[in-house]
Amino acid sequence: MSGGPDDERAAAALALVSLPAITPARLRRLLRAHGGPQTAVAAVAAGDAAAAVGRARDPAALARLWRARLDVPAARARVRSRRTRVWVEGDGAPFRDPGPACPPVLLGEGEWPGALDGPRVAVVGARAASPHGLADAAELGAVLAANGVTVVSGMAIGVDAAAHEGALGAGGAVVGVVATGLDVVYPRRNGSLFRRARASGLLVSEHAYGVPPAAARFPVRNRIIAALADAVVVVEAAERGGALITARHGAEMGRTVFAVPGSRRNRAAAGCNRLIADGAIPLLDPGDVLLAIGTGDPHARWHPPGPGPTDPDEAAVLDALGGEAATADQLARRCRLAPGRIAGALRRLAQRGLVEHRRGRWWPR
Amino acid sequence: MLACVPSAVLRGVDGQLVRVEVHVSRGLPGYTVVGLPDAAGRESRERVRAACLSSGLPWPLSRVTVNLAPAAVRKPGSGLEAAIALALLAAADALPAGALEGIGVIGELSLDGSVRPVPGVLALVGTLAAAGVEQVVVPAADAAEAALVPGVTVRAARSLGELHACLKGEAPWPDPPAAPPPPAVVADAQAAGDDDPADLADVRGLHHARHALAVAAAGAHHLLLVGPPGAGKTMLARRLPGILPRLDRGEALQVTRIHSAAGVRTHGRLVERPPFRAPHHSASAVALVGGGSPRVRPGEITLAHLGALFLDELGEFPPSVLDALRQPLEERVVRISRAHATVDFPADFVLVACSNPCPCGRPEPRCACTDVQRARYLRRLSAPLLDRFDLRLEVAPPDAGAGPGPPSAAVRDRVATAVERQRDRLAGTPWRRNGHVPGAALDTVAPLPADARRTWRAICRTRAVSGRGAARIRRVARTIADLDDRAEVTADDVELASMLREDLA
Repeated sequence: MSGGPDDERAAAALALVSLPAITPARLRRLLRAHGGPQTAVAAVAAGDAAAAVGRARDPAALARLWRARLDVPAARARVRSRRTRVWVEGDGAPFRDPGPACPPVLLGEGEWPGALDGPRVAVVGARAASPHGLADAAELGAVLAANGVTVVSGMAIGVDAAAHEGALGAGGAVVGVVATGLDVVYPRRNGSLFRRARASGLLVSEHAYGVPPAAARFPVRNRIIAALADAVVVVEAAERGGALITARHGAEMGRTVFAVPGSRRNRAAAGCNRLIADGAIPLLDPGDVLLAIGTGDPHARWHPPGPGPTDPDEAAVLDALGGEAATADQLARRCRLAPGRIAGALRRLAQRGLVEHRRGRWWPR
Repeated sequence: MLACVPSAVLRGVDGQLVRVEVHVSRGLPGYTVVGLPDAAGRESRERVRAACLSSGLPWPLSRVTVNLAPAAVRKPGSGLEAAIALALLAAADALPAGALEGIGVIGELSLDGSVRPVPGVLALVGTLAAAGVEQVVVPAADAAEAALVPGVTVRAARSLGELHACLKGEAPWPDPPAAPPPPAVVADAQAAGDDDPADLADVRGLHHARHALAVAAAGAHHLLLVGPPGAGKTMLARRLPGILPRLDRGEALQVTRIHSAAGVRTHGRLVERPPFRAPHHSASAVALVGGGSPRVRPGEITLAHLGALFLDELGEFPPSVLDALRQPLEERVVRISRAHATVDFPADFVLVACSNPCPCGRPEPRCACTDVQRARYLRRLSAPLLDRFDLRLEVAPPDAGAGPGPPSAAVRDRVATAVERQRDRLAGTPWRRNGHVPGAALDTVAPLPADARRTWRAICRTRAVSGRGAARIRRVARTIADLDDRAEVTADDVELASMLREDLA
């Protein structure tokens, strides 16, 4: 989208997105009424935009405010300096089948324009995911990337970040849909992930530069994740999680929705099991989702577990865990070893990455 | 015309010898107290005069000067009044010469002439005894406590008139103090008696944390339990007094002296159970470590000397208050400096703390706190403070299969054995327990056998623990072996010690 005349069009669209009190509905009315970004900008500059405001206490006042705040030169400078990519409704947007839920203008930044050309799968889930959920998300991201599929997610802590990391680690492309301006890094902890996502894919947002994080914007953002993907996979989600919103949007848009089944004891998986009960497809192997979108190796399997430990204490402790999390007390009851020997076995297992200690429980990998 | 009586005032939790000098001379009738008394000391004039008159004793119509020597030290409190009255009577020739020879006097006067009790009698009498006083007159209510000091004859004074008669030889001294009556309400220090209902057998599950509690009690290792509400961590920590071994006589005297000086009622009995102090999280830094002016008072950590300090909801304490604990935790003594005085308070206690893992305080299924929120909540506890806990444990609520553990009595026996072993090993060193031994001395005091040392090195490498943390793991390993009554530390002990010191995040 960058270069010459397109630059002007992008700058105009960005200037519109940056207007105060702009909403997707108002933006859409502006664009439709005036035929395109540049003509819409001209209308706003002329103070003719009151009709597009829709319901407001004083549409004329908002139109006057828009005229006062419209800043095309600043938008032009931004588009040039940040090489912002802009998609406007109706110009072959990246959405698979743009519906009314999709934003009329989408902004993107990143070094890999091809990220939106190929097949794409959304991998979403809870922020407070269990170690198992994080590992599954990372592995799924890696398998998808290895099969040439772009991983779409929300750049959040937890499953989102793990899926992105997995895909990036396998040399794949990612699309991160953020609920802030593209110049805001939120959560800050994921700063390095944001840098690498820009280098190996795209960050996209419907918001103007500088828009800060706000709780209400995150669930709304999820419809874009669903709209950009060919299929949605929920790895771990609590009973009322944002990932379920993504899944619902995906279902409404006709995407195949997968959920990774979990133990009833794992509260972080309750939302997934609920989805499956409601008709989502249980994701038994990564190949299932590749088969559904018709690309890659449909026989791709989860990484098989390695050979068990040879040390008898370690084997006894892993057996006692039985694939689920347990407290030190439960382990002591189940494997009947002296506390010191359990401690040693757990430490050696943790050192090799076979167990992980989290919130007072030991988790097998 | 001049008389002099030794007495004592409190300075921190120790006694300070004071010589009460009274000079009676001709001149305009008047009464002056010099020698830095506090307001209560200046008011003594009215109490001394009224007490003398109520007791039918003469009040000299002369110029009276009271000097409290040494003159440059501030003398808080009203415990010198009985001494002033007797010195005044002697100076006014109402007592025969030599009647006060070798007698120290402690007590506050009431307007009707009765002698009222004062705090810290144990420390005050100890000071007088050390100064060579043979007989000490104390308020009758404090006589039992004073009798705990060896080497002095304790005279119980009920009223100034009776005291006067006894000193003149007109009446026999009252009987030596009877054994204190069994108190109806005992102070909290003794509340945890043998019939203590809070027994470890009441706690379900938490075997791991239970073990940590025994290690803390045996080796004086500070313990931090982190877990969601309902996990039972407070219930467990509250049962610590039941497994602490009784104090020996020297320790009991120290604790009684401190508690008496701080105004905690001891009912004239030795405090034989280790104190257990549990201040609320609204406590100020001064309430916790001591301070105040003009009389510097001991804080909770000094009242917990030779016992345990329990801080529930550690994360709710203001960070500044917690950081005031760092130095005493390391040095086991706290030095309070004020403009007019610097006082050292002993503060050799085991710190047991509990904290929620997150700010919401909801039990596990309903807690929606993210790792970031949890990390932020625990960051309220400064890293240097967290580092001082030898034992750090995250506990999860017990599951349905969790049964009760061994009762307190059984654990107490193991702890007593471990304490005995430490006493033998640490005899002749400045340390009482494994938790006190500095890292540099561990190799001589508690050497590690070769295989345990290999494990210890491996743990230090893989867990990237600091030098201080590595020493803490060794100390805890030594205590674990002591609890099992074993001479040698094994590799398993080191593994368990490492597991009992989790990296909280």
